[in-house]
Amino acid sequence: MKKFSSFISHYRTIAYALFFVLAWIWATWWMGDLYRMAYENSFLAADRTLMHFLWQESFGTMWIAGRALLLLYRWPLIGGLAVAVLLTAAVWLIGYCFRLRPRWRWLGLLPVSAWMTWVAWLGLNLFFQHEPGRTLGVLLLGVLVCAVDAFVIWTFKSRSSHHQHLEAAPVTLSTWLLTLVMIVLCFGAPTLVTSLRHPYARPVTHMQVQLLHEDWVGMSETAHKHAALSYRPLAAYYVVALIHTGHITDELFDIRLDYDSLYVVNWTGQPDVGTNYYIVDCNYAAGLFRAAEHKAIEQMTMDGPSLFTLKHLTRLALLDSNWALARKYLQILSKAPFEGAFIERYSAMLDSPDRVAADPEFALLRQTEPAMDSFESYYEAPVFLGYNCALLAGRSKTALMHSLLSNLYSKRMPAFLERCQPLVGTMPPRYIAEGLVTQVKKYPEVLQAFPQLNMTAQLFSGFLRDVSTELKDRPTYARELFDRYHGYYPYYYFFGNLKATRKRTTNEHGGSNAGVN
Amino acid sequence: MSIRHTLFHRIQAFCDVLLSVALFASIIISVHGLTACSSRPSSVPASFSESSDTARIFPDYRDVVIPPNIAPMNFMVRDSLASEFVVTIADIVCGATSDGKIDIDANAWRQLLEKSKGNTLQVDVYAHRDQGWIHMKPFVMTVAEEPIDSFLSYRLIEPGYELYRQLGLYQRNLTDFTETPIYENNRTFDNVDNHCVNCHNYQNYSTDHMLFHVRAGHGGTIIVDGNEAHKITIKHDSIISAGVYPSWHPTQNLIAFSTNYTGQVFHMLHTEKIEVLDLGSDLLLYDVERNAVKHIVHTKDALETFPCWTPDGTRLYYCSARRTEIPKDSTYMIDFIAKYDSILYDIYSIPFDSKTRSFGEPRLEVDASSQGHSTSVPRISPDGRYMLYTQGDYGQFHIWHKSADLWVKKIQEDGSENTEEQSAYPLTAANSAEADSYHTWSSNGRWIVFASRRLDAAYSRAFIAYFDKNGQARKAFLMPQRDPELNTFLLKSYNVPELTKNSVKVSIEKLNHVVYNTEPELATYEE
Repeated sequence: MKKFSSFISHYRTIAYALFFVLAWIWATWWMGDLYRMAYENSFLAADRTLMHFLWQESFGTMWIAGRALLLLYRWPLIGGLAVAVLLTAAVWLIGYCFRLRPRWRWLGLLPVSAWMTWVAWLGLNLFFQHEPGRTLGVLLLGVLVCAVDAFVIWTFKSRSSHHQHLEAAPVTLSTWLLTLVMIVLCFGAPTLVTSLRHPYARPVTHMQVQLLHEDWVGMSETAHKHAALSYRPLAAYYVVALIHTGHITDELFDIRLDYDSLYVVNWTGQPDVGTNYYIVDCNYAAGLFRAAEHKAIEQMTMDGPSLFTLKHLTRLALLDSNWALARKYLQILSKAPFEGAFIERYSAMLDSPDRVAADPEFALLRQTEPAMDSFESYYEAPVFLGYNCALLAGRSKTALMHSLLSNLYSKRMPAFLERCQPLVGTMPPRYIAEGLVTQVKKYPEVLQAFPQLNMTAQLFSGFLRDVSTELKDRPTYARELFDRYHGYYPYYYFFGNLKATRKRTTNEHGGSNAGVN
Repeated sequence: MSIRHTLFHRIQAFCDVLLSVALFASIIISVHGLTACSSRPSSVPASFSESSDTARIFPDYRDVVIPPNIAPMNFMVRDSLASEFVVTIADIVCGATSDGKIDIDANAWRQLLEKSKGNTLQVDVYAHRDQGWIHMKPFVMTVAEEPIDSFLSYRLIEPGYELYRQLGLYQRNLTDFTETPIYENNRTFDNVDNHCVNCHNYQNYSTDHMLFHVRAGHGGTIIVDGNEAHKITIKHDSIISAGVYPSWHPTQNLIAFSTNYTGQVFHMLHTEKIEVLDLGSDLLLYDVERNAVKHIVHTKDALETFPCWTPDGTRLYYCSARRTEIPKDSTYMIDFIAKYDSILYDIYSIPFDSKTRSFGEPRLEVDASSQGHSTSVPRISPDGRYMLYTQGDYGQFHIWHKSADLWVKKIQEDGSENTEEQSAYPLTAANSAEADSYHTWSSNGRWIVFASRRLDAAYSRAFIAYFDKNGQARKAFLMPQRDPELNTFLLKSYNVPELTKNSVKVSIEKLNHVVYNTEPELATYEE
């Protein structure tokens, strides 16, 4: 009992310590990758010209202050620590400014919880087509206002009366329990919002952070871990990872590809499917460098310069042997703190076509660069794999595989079969084989061209028998069958990606699926 | 004791807060770029060794001819081996920042130019390397007798593709570094207010009469008359689009516009990145006072664009290409776009009777298509003796074509026909391997200013070149900036540079009011 009394007497210290630790965990572990990518989509430099875009905006100063704090998220542990300190300070300052008695001190948690829930509600809109320094700018401003208010109170009010007023009331067990409950609710609300509204946001940003570290296997593992989630950005970054791991022909259909709403909005405030979130990365990974540059410049036009766009534009200029332009972007990046490693790596390639050619990533991506000129508008969705469904000429077998897989993904079977010609007489990779056998009934000559596929065809017949009932109501059974058949192309062909959004010409139907997302 | 103690702590706490605020402010201020770039006061090193090295300077101001009223030609020396620099320009001695930037004293520079008209200025660069001071090979700048018009207006916009956000029209005082906005669109994204501005144009180098277009939200053409402005719009069933490329008649309140149905596509592998194509275009004559518009040329088989009046207003020059006949079916656009590199523009002129406001028969001025080339943006020199235009391999949107160069054609004083072979030639000294286009003459005909992507093939910058009495241009130089690195850090392109004798009179507030709060007056179409 004595111990408990002592515990109660340290009520404030313990409550604040608990809140601080939970806030640090929330801001680092739960939100760390989101804010890390917000940092990557931000830019801060001590140069008027470079920051002109932001200064011109309404509340530009506040956004810049937010971006300054965001810099700490270069290392999420430190960024999280700073946010935790601010959140804890906010709770204390609110209590102090409003002279909340211990029993009502939990009220100070409400504005903080509201801020955290707002951050969670934004999801990828934390930075996607919105100012990345916005949330931290608002937090900083809030804390600053409270601090000034507290300072005024502290300076001009009688300290003793104010202090005594706060400390007079005794701390009871019920007060302590209420505070604990409110702390739990304070973190529970934003955590629930993230989990229910944006369940993809943490995995996607985690994959992006892994991409920054070129951890392609890690990206693939993250996608597999969240295979049952079905969101475009997750699938897009999964494809980027597979391009690098070389497992695209046997792992592409391992995850769900049905695409639920992201609950993000674009600059106009309208719901957005989020293509612009990943299109630069996808085009770049697919070797469509001009299209990647196009989209990166447009992102820079709309959002101002960011580390993300500047880094991409640097690489793209190097791939284009435009040394002057690459140098320009590197000089701009050198004005941002903490980007020394990137600058060192790519500065070494300036004026050196040999070093550009020797870079393993560039060499890999060059394999799928278009073999002949065309216009971007001639390429067709989906954007994954560089929307090269219509690709007819490639400079490598990898390019052919990407074209075949994009047609499999889009379920454009006649186009797929047409592009399989170079593989006749060989044992095609797994998904190509599984795609071919789905067409045997309609085109029996497929088995003549690919006699090695008899076993695959038998497996396909077995699959059709097994799902004969479910085939009658595919949308209903799609999710249920995923656990049994994920990674098997015929499952995707019949049950995957059913929410058609694009009308197709009659000769493209080619199968029982009317379209894909 | 207690009171003193408390007071002490309060003062200390107050100081802490002040310090924190000051720290925060210093971060903000340094980000704001208010930290002045101070040149270290310097003198020519007492001892140095001669070097055969040529100083690497940016911008390249070696051996250029400069106007006697130009702003200080600040540059930076790029020498990673050196830690200090001293630069002398004739008798001016400039210190440099550690990153090699020199900031020339404006008063000394003005006096130097005034007394150096027609002469050369020697520039000496001294660099302090590990072994001591070295004197690099000097270079010269020549000061011309003739000044350049004081104001250059341009649009600043990302070298983008389809989207735009913060853009505006600005005017730069070329005699100093002052840049002021003529008009800026909405700074913060807004569905209703988002708009683009383009095609600013003046009457005869004066800002008394000016125009520019507003596209998307609050659309229309803004017509400026001194301190006043109003908004008009050109719409009619027989007109392809609102007015596009303008040319203000030198003496009358008439504007020639092109009207264009424009599309753009993006290459996936080509050396060029963007193609902007006209699928249809005609020429219009707009009467400002009567708010009336009529066709100058209205053809189905030709694409006419880029109108330009002669200085006396008796002829209108323009570009025209034969329009390929393509059946209008579902693949019309694809078929048209596929022929993008076979659309070749020639330059024509058409006489204008200002009394009857009627046009005569067109005359071919530059037959580029027969040589497999294409022309754009004809501009006649103020003395009427030269036509400056852009020539490239194909098309008309030469601002995105590496092959685009500035060409000149001598115009016969008697107006008789001229064979191109005899009189058209490229301005080799001013041209570059990248796109050089959108040129403007100075009012005395001795200077040309144009947009060039020569620095990095992406961001166009304003370049100035001297045009001598023999019709030859000298090496072009980058418009000077107080901080030469602005050219590196500015992520926007200089678009459509236009020289004027004076600054724009109408206020930005007035233009904002007209754009946002007034409805455009519909021009009457006259058959």
